[in-house]
Amino acid sequence: MSITIGRLLSLVGITFLIHSAYSTYQHLSYLNAVDKAESGLPIEIIAECLISVVVSLVGVVLCAGDLKNILMENEMRKQTIDKLDTAPSFITFNHRGRRAVSAHSLLQRRSHMS
Amino acid sequence: MARLDFEAASLELQQYRQSGERASERVAYLASRIIKDGYSAKLKDDIWPFYEQAVTAALDVGDFRLADECIENLKRRFSSSSRVQRLVGMRYEAEGKLADAQKIYDAILEEDESNILVSKRQIALLKLRGLKSEAISALVTYLDTYYSDAEAWIELCSLYLSVHAYQKAAYCLEELILLQAANPIWHLKYAEIMYTLGDYSLALKQYCRVIDLHEDHLRAMYGIQLCASKILDNGEADGTTEALKELATERILATEVNQCTIDSIKQVVREYLSVA
Repeated sequence: MSITIGRLLSLVGITFLIHSAYSTYQHLSYLNAVDKAESGLPIEIIAECLISVVVSLVGVVLCAGDLKNILMENEMRKQTIDKLDTAPSFITFNHRGRRAVSAHSLLQRRSHMS
Repeated sequence: MARLDFEAASLELQQYRQSGERASERVAYLASRIIKDGYSAKLKDDIWPFYEQAVTAALDVGDFRLADECIENLKRRFSSSSRVQRLVGMRYEAEGKLADAQKIYDAILEEDESNILVSKRQIALLKLRGLKSEAISALVTYLDTYYSDAEAWIELCSLYLSVHAYQKAAYCLEELILLQAANPIWHLKYAEIMYTLGDYSLALKQYCRVIDLHEDHLRAMYGIQLCASKILDNGEADGTTEALKELATERILATEVNQCTIDSIKQVVREYLSVA
């Protein structure tokens, strides 16, 4: 949910930032044309720029998603031995689980097919 | 049959892919439900690693129908890929046709000698035939080149343990500790091997390291309790051993016993801790 809000906010913020940049350019070229150079930017453009920066900042932070725990210890706590002590590329299939499990799954399939 | 929660299922499968856990029954069940209920289109690009994962799990539980279906889909998309050929080889292995599997792996390795996955399958084939010492030497040769491959060290450690070569298994675990120092499991395994070899002080230190990394780890606390008892019996104790034993006993009672609701189990644990 917050990721979509984040995306929306950052889109809006960046649009207004681009808009304020374009208005600055327009204003400066207008000042040039009217020979009134160095008269400073109108307060609206500055305000638009700063506010759009803040909005896009908030939006980008929300886009980043959930934070993870910084302590390695807390991440490791969730790992069981099964998840860590495995060598999946060396897996071999000559164990008796094959017969036991295939019978079990066959029964399951029969029960929900009927 | 309940409706399959596709989002949760695909997330779970992704987690199994990342960790490499061998939960083959669950993966085979989820994979067959996803394919049968028609959710495979929703996976989009993730479908190819999904098929690979499904093949391994299906072969592990003996569901050849599922394995064949996934291999067919993979072959249709990747007709000349060594990864798909490896899966075909694994299928022969699961059926017991070791010679056919060997032929496939030899063909792939002829084309590309440095294919890591297939070299590992070669070693697994040797293990399958029961040629443990050949498997060990092949794995050692492999590790000479790829010494940072944690998975291979894990496998070598298991092979050494199965032939009771504890010192060599300890060496493998030392390498793993070097590679992944923050992982408490390697310290735990190392401590248990040291205990088996009779080096109680080193085992005690390693068990303490596990607690350092993972507070109140039950197995490590039992280990500390046992090591401390053995050291006190041998008479080599220094000041801290007694304190460690008491601390371990107290923590075991606090975490396991007080959370357990069955009185007979509490009684058994208390008796064991006061005697051991």
